[in-house]
Amino acid sequence: MTVVRTTPPPRLPVRNKTTADEPAATGLSPMLNRLAAERATGVLVRECGTLYLADGHVVHAESPLAPGLDVLLTTHGTLDAESWRQAADRADERHGAGRLLLDARRVTQGTLELCHLGALYDAAYFALAPSSAPGRFRYGTGHWLGPVRPVPVAAVERETLRRRELLHRIWPDPWADGAPLLRTALGAAPAVPPRQAAVLTLVDGARSAPDIARELGRPTFHTLVDVRRLTAAGLVAPHAPHAPHAPPSTPDPLPVVTDPDITLLKRLRDALEAL
Amino acid sequence: MPGIDECLLEAMRLPGALGASLVDWTSGLALGTVGDAPGGDHEASAAEAAELARLAAEQRAFAPGAAAAAEAGDAAGEAARPDPPVEDLIISNHDSYHLLRFVPTSFDSSVFLHLWLARADGNLALARIRLGEMAGRLVLG
Repeated sequence: MTVVRTTPPPRLPVRNKTTADEPAATGLSPMLNRLAAERATGVLVRECGTLYLADGHVVHAESPLAPGLDVLLTTHGTLDAESWRQAADRADERHGAGRLLLDARRVTQGTLELCHLGALYDAAYFALAPSSAPGRFRYGTGHWLGPVRPVPVAAVERETLRRRELLHRIWPDPWADGAPLLRTALGAAPAVPPRQAAVLTLVDGARSAPDIARELGRPTFHTLVDVRRLTAAGLVAPHAPHAPHAPPSTPDPLPVVTDPDITLLKRLRDALEAL
Repeated sequence: MPGIDECLLEAMRLPGALGASLVDWTSGLALGTVGDAPGGDHEASAAEAAELARLAAEQRAFAPGAAAAAEAGDAAGEAARPDPPVEDLIISNHDSYHLLRFVPTSFDSSVFLHLWLARADGNLALARIRLGEMAGRLVLG
């Protein structure tokens, strides 16, 4: 009797709890783990963003690629720009801007926390992106926003890794993340969900994903999720000379043969003719 | 004016409440958690619930008209219409309920409240009404 052997399916990935709980295991930034362990307060400046720490917790994050808390709050009129500017001006070490806005009843606690966490995780995603330059840490300087909802370093690192994986699963090519985007010419575009449609209407060949995020008052990561979905659906493509052009490769020169093995070639020919 | 934690603690005072969380359905991040997690892991259950919430918020079968308004760039229509049009999702298990309530906000967001309710003690109708009120108060104060 013939036994049909099939290859067993690959094991499904299971998150390892013990390693997931050890921040050092993520290896995103050894320096950040050290600072968390010593409960440091200060500012960690990395290539693509800045993390603000207080007592080893992340209290705020900023990145040129992510819209700031002010953009998230003011774009749709939740807070007027003038109130934000006043709070930022009046903030000191004892009264952070967040506290001032709450006390003046400009925003509610829930709104501030939601937008703050949105901005924090978004900027941290870019700040913790792989970089070529080492980070710098300055002890002792807080952020003028004041504490709103501090987050453990381990949680920020775990979420950053999870977000990378999420984007990779949607569409593995990060090429469209920073480039100006262009709508691909399709006859009849299929209907897309409302939040993707909002992104799609701003795609004009000049704006990149971070530009669109700023315009929508939406975190850049959330915009990237939609951009990668639209890319995967073939509706959007990066408008840029694709990939750094590789230098035209010179064809390998043919090997210079001085002594062809005539006898071997003749035997080979004879054998082929005899077939 | 409640923050995220106060809102979740209030949800936990509902009869039969086992656990509550506030989740972002684009990223699958749990912004706050209280009590037990279905399956024992708040982060994993947040990511899974987010998948379901995203489908409900995006599919035209459940959210009719929203896509057309956004496509046309109809700002006035968008402002008048809550985003997403779906209010909540209810999942009934043999021993528990899951109630997912979308939080309408004046700023751009994609969050929902997730309440896990024991079926024996929970009152689904009451929980649905109260969770809706909490979702409103979370951002409106």
